[in-house]
Amino acid sequence: MEAPNLKKAGILALVLVVIVIGSWEHYLRHKGYNIAYDDGDGLWANKRAMVYEPIDKATVFIGSSRNKYDIDIYTWQSITGDHPIQLALEGDSPLPVLDDLSADIKFKGKVIVDVTERLFFTTRSNNVDEPKEMVAYYKERTPTQRFSFKVNHLLESQFVFLDKNNFSLYAILEKLNVPKRKGAFAEPYEYPIEAGRITFDRQNIMMDEFLSDTTLRNHVKAIWNFYEKRNTELPAKDTRLDSFLIAIKKSCDKIKSRGGDVLFVHTPSAGFMLDGENKNFPREDYWDRLLTFTNCKGIHFADYSPLNHFEIPEFSHLGRPDAIIWTRNLIQILQQEKGWTFPHKKNYCCK
Amino acid sequence: MVFNSYTFIVFFIIVLVLHNLPLPWKVKKINLLIASYIFYAAWNPPFILLLWLATVVDYFVGKGLYNQQNKNKRKLLLVISLIGNLGMLIFFKYGTFLLENFTTLVNALGMNYHPAKPSIILPAGISFYTFTTLCYTIDMYKRKSKPINSMLDFSLFVTFFPHLVAGPIVRPPQLVPQFESPRTANQKQMLQGLLLVTLGLFMKVVLADSMLSASANQVFGSKEMLSTLDAWMGVLAFSGQIFFDFAGYSTCAVGVALCLGFVLPQNFLYPYAAIGFSDFWRRWHITLSAWLRDYLYIPLGGNRNGKFRTYINLMITMLLGGLWHGANWTFVVWGALHGFYLWVEKIITDIRHDKVKAISVTPAGAVGVLGPVPEILKKRNASNFMLALFTFFLINVTWVFFRAPNFTSAWHLLTSMFSHVPKGAVLLSTLSIIKISVIIFFVVIFHWLMRNTRVLIVAEKLPWWLLGIIWSVLLLLLIWSQESSSSFIYFQF
Repeated sequence: MEAPNLKKAGILALVLVVIVIGSWEHYLRHKGYNIAYDDGDGLWANKRAMVYEPIDKATVFIGSSRNKYDIDIYTWQSITGDHPIQLALEGDSPLPVLDDLSADIKFKGKVIVDVTERLFFTTRSNNVDEPKEMVAYYKERTPTQRFSFKVNHLLESQFVFLDKNNFSLYAILEKLNVPKRKGAFAEPYEYPIEAGRITFDRQNIMMDEFLSDTTLRNHVKAIWNFYEKRNTELPAKDTRLDSFLIAIKKSCDKIKSRGGDVLFVHTPSAGFMLDGENKNFPREDYWDRLLTFTNCKGIHFADYSPLNHFEIPEFSHLGRPDAIIWTRNLIQILQQEKGWTFPHKKNYCCK
Repeated sequence: MVFNSYTFIVFFIIVLVLHNLPLPWKVKKINLLIASYIFYAAWNPPFILLLWLATVVDYFVGKGLYNQQNKNKRKLLLVISLIGNLGMLIFFKYGTFLLENFTTLVNALGMNYHPAKPSIILPAGISFYTFTTLCYTIDMYKRKSKPINSMLDFSLFVTFFPHLVAGPIVRPPQLVPQFESPRTANQKQMLQGLLLVTLGLFMKVVLADSMLSASANQVFGSKEMLSTLDAWMGVLAFSGQIFFDFAGYSTCAVGVALCLGFVLPQNFLYPYAAIGFSDFWRRWHITLSAWLRDYLYIPLGGNRNGKFRTYINLMITMLLGGLWHGANWTFVVWGALHGFYLWVEKIITDIRHDKVKAISVTPAGAVGVLGPVPEILKKRNASNFMLALFTFFLINVTWVFFRAPNFTSAWHLLTSMFSHVPKGAVLLSTLSIIKISVIIFFVVIFHWLMRNTRVLIVAEKLPWWLLGIIWSVLLLLLIWSQESSSSFIYFQF
């Protein structure tokens, strides 16, 4: 049976969709945005599944956003010849992921854990629920979810507008300047798109526009300040701190017993972020104790001049050019002082 | 596999191509059956064994029930079918719930019993396909229809992927005859099917997931007492979410089947324009309501054993209907509340019996179960609109028990909704409140305007350019929302 009206309507709908989507894509590219990926459970699980490479080949990064900005995994890969796997999660504790890796008897690799004390020594659901959900998603992924992820990747790598975090309907509505409701939770500013584009390897990269725009940088500083003031959780002490350390040591020992290694890294911060960390988490009580108790190696940015001379645009993360240098310097320290070797590294001359 | 996933799009294109190739009808049916198993296995492959078991057992038991002359043997076969189907459902869906309640009971009696918590995964859609196979064997026992002679047709009836995991719950006479002769969609069916799939996905992905779910989750996840506005907005958000989620799935299912040339029964008819609760159950999850009527309410005696028994039967039906939705006492209370509303409605109807009888076509036993819509309820006047709004208000109260994780949470929410809570938590942003208000306002109006018609009838009457623009807006918002692969709420049932 023919349906001329429906047919014409269907063709018109298709034409309109192609025109509008094409225009939207063109507009976003014209504004300077490039391809970015949805850093959700699918992408995380895709990376989590890659940790089973030989111990001398892969390095797994866990922690919070500082690892995702400050460790430039492309630099890491080009210098070491390793396969860096980024499993850090923004605003989250690394401990559920460390626990997951340690319980996975097939995993025998190296782990670099970013220590941002406020996120590290905490059991707040805001900071531990997401990593737990990611681990659960990875373990329970269905065949259809795996296949959908692959199709999604194919599309995301072609279209800028398929950046769910910034250009989806939900995200755009959230960016509307709707008056705030008294008493309801609201960040002081919308997190700028320019502050973090995400690659398929889960590398966060600040755009040049962000690095050169003081207003945007101040907006992000204001957001960090908002969360600092909002956080009423007292730093873990005494038995609570002990229980953290016992659990972490247990996880580290398991990984090391299988031939792997765990190294803690304290990435740089500045301004009120650094002041808050120094005040609430004195180094001798937390960082030093963590290394002593777990018997793991660690690199604190403050101890190494090649790691502590950077300008931090919004007090918490490095811009890409500095992240490249920071990563290069970190690798050098790892090799020279911590005894790490990279058998797959290409001939590289440090300057 | 869920309809709102890229996997399904690829899968469906392949199925459509295969179904339209010049192949023998039997080969096409085998293709559909294999596709249906892939559709199911893509979620959790091992559970396909349960589906096979149910199919094989009920195929042979069904035949035996129809052909067997010995009464005792027939009863034995029926018991085998009931134990097989309900046994699996009880184990997978209610196993943990029963153990928890048993533990509570024996501990209350002074025994110190603390068993390990079982870790039972609920197979997707088990409640739906169990009801599908159950109605077949019960029909065979009653010799309501002839047994399906082809194992292929029976397997396809049980497994046909559009209805497999979340309905509509189909009966053999609705689907099996369609397998008997070759069919593919004509141009009109194909386009109507695609329009319904677009609409269904729009309801699920844009409205339920992108616009409403976050607010509903936020409010129902709160452990605090809330401000009255937040409590009501959260409940309204869930009210919209559950409708768009489930009606969206059903619309997709009907549309997908139509693209293949098959017709599935409607499952929703603008329920938020219902006038009263009998009317609501004529419009909400229609195939479940009909199933409960035919295989529970009527076998219990229906309205044939006097008024008192009618009330009892009605309540039993609603309580079990509630429990069907989930293994939690909150669902039982949800069902009880619906049963109570139906009682009140029946009392009013009984008092006004003569008057209603004079002007309506409602059969005397129609209260609480399906029946033709009374003419008086078809009128779109102001008083009926106010009654519909009042019904919608009462339905929202029931959703509190449906969505709340426990009674404490439900009580907090109800208290927040119906009393002034000093310093009640303010959770929702201005934008969330605007989104919920706008969507719910249009839902109520749209349901009211559409309550006596169907979307495809309206679509056919629209000028082609206007339909094209509306269709493109649905598609654009669907693409723009970028929400994919989230499960449908009713999968858990």
